[in-house]
Amino acid sequence: MSIVRTMGATVGLAFGISALAGAAHAQDCTTKIGAVLPTSVDWGRPIAETAQFAVDQVNAAGGAAGCQIEMVLRDTQVDPKVGVDAAKALVDLEGVNVLLGAVSSGVSMPILTSVTVPSGVLQMSCCSSSTAFTGLATEGKTGGLWFRTFATTGVQSAVGAKVAADQGYKSVAILYKNDDWGQDMARLIAADFAAVGVDVTASVAINDAQPNYRAEVTDALTSQPEALYLALYPAEGTAAVREWLSLGGTQNMILANSLKSDEFRDNVGMQYLGSALGTDTASPRSESADAFRAAYQERFASEPNGPGLANSYDAAMIALLAMEAAGKDASGADVAAAIARVTDPDGTAVSADTAGFVAAKEVLASGGNVMFQGATGNVRFDANGDVSAPAVIWSFSDEGTEEVEFMSLNDVDAFMASLK
Amino acid sequence: MIGIFSYLIFFATTASILAIAVLGLNLQWGNTGLFNGGVVAFFGAGAYATLILGGTAQAGHLGGFGLFYPLALLGGMAAAGLMAWIVGLLTLRLRHDYLAIATFGVAVAFENLMRNAEWLAGGAKGVRGFERPLRAALGDGFAYNLLFFAGVLLILIATYLFLERLVASPFGRLLRAIREDEAAAASLGKSPSKVRLTAFVTGSVILGLAGGLYGTFYAFVSPQDVLPTLTFQIWAMLIVGGAGNNRGAIFGAFLIWGAWTLSGWALSRFAPVDVQLYTGSFQFILIGSVIVGMLMWRPQGLLPERLVVSQRGKPQSTQQGE
Amino acid sequence: MIQHLLDGVLTGSYLSLGAIGLTLVMHILRFANFSHAELLSLGAYAALVCDALVSGLAPFLTVKLAPLSLTGALIIAILISMVLTGLSALIIDRLVFKRVRERGQELSMVFASFGMALIIRNVIGLIFGLSPTLYSRDIAFAVILSRDPLILVKPDQVFVLIAALALMFILHLILSRTTFGYSLRAVAENPSLAQVNGVNLQRTIMAVWLIGGGLAAVAGVFYGISHQLIPVMGRDLVLPIFAATIVGGIGSVYGAVLGGFIVGVAANMALVVLPSGYTPSVPFLLILLVLMIRPHGLFGEARA
Repeated sequence: MSIVRTMGATVGLAFGISALAGAAHAQDCTTKIGAVLPTSVDWGRPIAETAQFAVDQVNAAGGAAGCQIEMVLRDTQVDPKVGVDAAKALVDLEGVNVLLGAVSSGVSMPILTSVTVPSGVLQMSCCSSSTAFTGLATEGKTGGLWFRTFATTGVQSAVGAKVAADQGYKSVAILYKNDDWGQDMARLIAADFAAVGVDVTASVAINDAQPNYRAEVTDALTSQPEALYLALYPAEGTAAVREWLSLGGTQNMILANSLKSDEFRDNVGMQYLGSALGTDTASPRSESADAFRAAYQERFASEPNGPGLANSYDAAMIALLAMEAAGKDASGADVAAAIARVTDPDGTAVSADTAGFVAAKEVLASGGNVMFQGATGNVRFDANGDVSAPAVIWSFSDEGTEEVEFMSLNDVDAFMASLK
Repeated sequence: MIGIFSYLIFFATTASILAIAVLGLNLQWGNTGLFNGGVVAFFGAGAYATLILGGTAQAGHLGGFGLFYPLALLGGMAAAGLMAWIVGLLTLRLRHDYLAIATFGVAVAFENLMRNAEWLAGGAKGVRGFERPLRAALGDGFAYNLLFFAGVLLILIATYLFLERLVASPFGRLLRAIREDEAAAASLGKSPSKVRLTAFVTGSVILGLAGGLYGTFYAFVSPQDVLPTLTFQIWAMLIVGGAGNNRGAIFGAFLIWGAWTLSGWALSRFAPVDVQLYTGSFQFILIGSVIVGMLMWRPQGLLPERLVVSQRGKPQSTQQGE
Repeated sequence: MIQHLLDGVLTGSYLSLGAIGLTLVMHILRFANFSHAELLSLGAYAALVCDALVSGLAPFLTVKLAPLSLTGALIIAILISMVLTGLSALIIDRLVFKRVRERGQELSMVFASFGMALIIRNVIGLIFGLSPTLYSRDIAFAVILSRDPLILVKPDQVFVLIAALALMFILHLILSRTTFGYSLRAVAENPSLAQVNGVNLQRTIMAVWLIGGGLAAVAGVFYGISHQLIPVMGRDLVLPIFAATIVGGIGSVYGAVLGGFIVGVAANMALVVLPSGYTPSVPFLLILLVLMIRPHGLFGEARA
């Protein structure tokens, strides 16, 4: 920690008086950013933890825009009105102009329409996947204040179909979470499976908060597929897959990135996951690509596996980089405008850790642009605040997960074009 | 300072919308004794119908009628009322817990329909594309929120006055008569089932009104807005505030919504950094404790129903409604 | 189809156990106890802790009783958990419900219980984390009963069904053969008359909580064995258990048993009737149907 601080100070020295003043100032001022995340839900708490982790790294690098960063965290309870109220309180009472969250699209959307856009606050969601945001942005109603680090579901589903085709599966049954993300996934993956000539024998919705999924699993099982596609979260994923295996279902499974989770692996058991292949968006091939993973392991003693963790980290990091780029006392709109400067494909590559942030400060202070190489890849937003990213196919290993195949952004685009 | 004021306006808007819903439920439970366990279905019907009727065209689902706002809101109320009429015909002869679970089932089915029928209301993605009334003129900053709050407050007061009059009227006495002793009311030549249905539909129209305002305020509604949690919240507001008393209902709405949000704010402000991640669970424990504590302290509600002896002429509790 | 039916019966066994306790409480204490399902979580997690303790003290008990995934340690843990959960129910009644009951109306009790449910659920979440836990990570494989049509059954679930039926039979004996059973029924019929006849009301209420809590603990553990433990399991189970109670008729133990199986079967058969997204509605639509025909449930009686 102290070494990093010293590094930060050294960088400040190297970049003249004003930067030095900023670094010195970092010790006695604090900028608040807001986070509205479902910390009372099993998959929500780690997402919040990861966002805090990114903030800590930035503070170790001397903070952003000359001040230490304090993340004020509020629980959404996955209840839209609670989330909206929390967001409004953060904006009005804490004076934040950068807001991280929410996770569910049904919470993020009313926050966007009734809090952040009217107040000119930047909203950056890790995980809201609904296509409704893209629609809103095309109509120009997000005011350029909306961003999400969740790569569109199209990449996930296309790569899922590629796995099925590569493995030679002739038929697949789909189990999907019955929310906006799962419904999108189910529709897209069914089309992509059809495009590569894989039969979909059954597509079964898994509803939240049901005591058991025996009937749903039996339904998928009796359709006798060669493989199972799962677009579920760890809790219901564990329940469904254990049920599936105990009834003698095949171990040929294709998993969406939401199941890239240690909890899921441990509760199902490594011995049954040998032929399970997952899909995810990926970091680029570069030296610094593992920076996030390494730092995460050091902090939490486990791999950054779980729904939305990498996305949450990137969301926080990009928002903070943009704050740095926009400078002190920038408005939400200024920060939003600065996002292009920190995710510039032609910019200087910076890694996803404290050292990367220090390096980014240096470049930004000299007027340059940076390309943040995030935990989910070379994050790049389009005009609607959506991202696209390279992809990876992974499998579970004793240590966590390991990469089976890497697909660059071009590979992904080419493959997706071939499906049309 | 402006921030605090701006937040309080926002808070009061949500609380007032919820208070309207609590008033609707109070007519059903407090005055008529109908255990509506599906509050959220009628609230949701109002929200969905208002947005579908008043919204811009959306690909993939019903909508885009772009009705003049008051008409859209009336449409939302009508949708809630129509649903209540059908549900009422089917279930109102059931009593207490049986009625509660039957109406609860209706709410679950409603949420399911909204979540799955993408052609109808966008499925899990919800309904968007709604222009808040007068937004073009006022922008959507503080002035808009202030005016919106004023509008909601007016509607709340109007609803309150309407219900106070209704309760004081012969019809109101009839409602209480049926609640207390149905056989006696029937023996006086009244038709309890017709009266109950009227009260149920009227209460549900008010719930639909609250739902419509809620949808308008957020310019968005999705299945996440119509989960059973909302039924619980509205009921807790009524029971803690005092069933049978309209002022209690409003008071309860502000109190419970205040406890719900204030607990989150207080935890984020005062809890130590290392427990911040766990504040979500702590907040629920706090909310549960407030409700349990209130009910242990005043089981009859903060402003309980005042017993009225009708022979004495005008009920005292309704003087301010005159 | 047959598979769904069978699964429904197996699911019904733990719903029934939960519903028995609820129906007794609803009948004798006259309120819909929304925290009843939290007693299932409480029991399940208590057994998790006891299982770890017993396994630590007596490692020879950790051997699996093939073909079940059950161990001797877990069986002892269930028994301890039954007592603990029954006592917890009693303590919650003393601390909270008794006070509200003495002064408030029925609905104050209902919402006090809702508040208690929030508290219990989130305390469990704080202690054990929000993620699922398992008694045993090994997967208990199903046995093939028939290949055409394919019918599969898990040994654990057969055990759960038999054990649940055995418990119900014991309860039946207690209710129909002992003085205690008579006094319980007397209180349920008419509390004042029962007291006039020398039934100790306080003691009967205590017994109801102990029985309800004990059965809830078993139901919770059985649910945990069949599926998984998660702090929100009470939230997920409260509605099916209520549905079972109502469909059977409030106050009828036999109705609760039957109601549990009906709801279990309905939930599992739902997919046959409707698309998968709509399955959560099916048990409730069924209840609506039952209540259309019998407004007080299958075995319930009208009560003023």
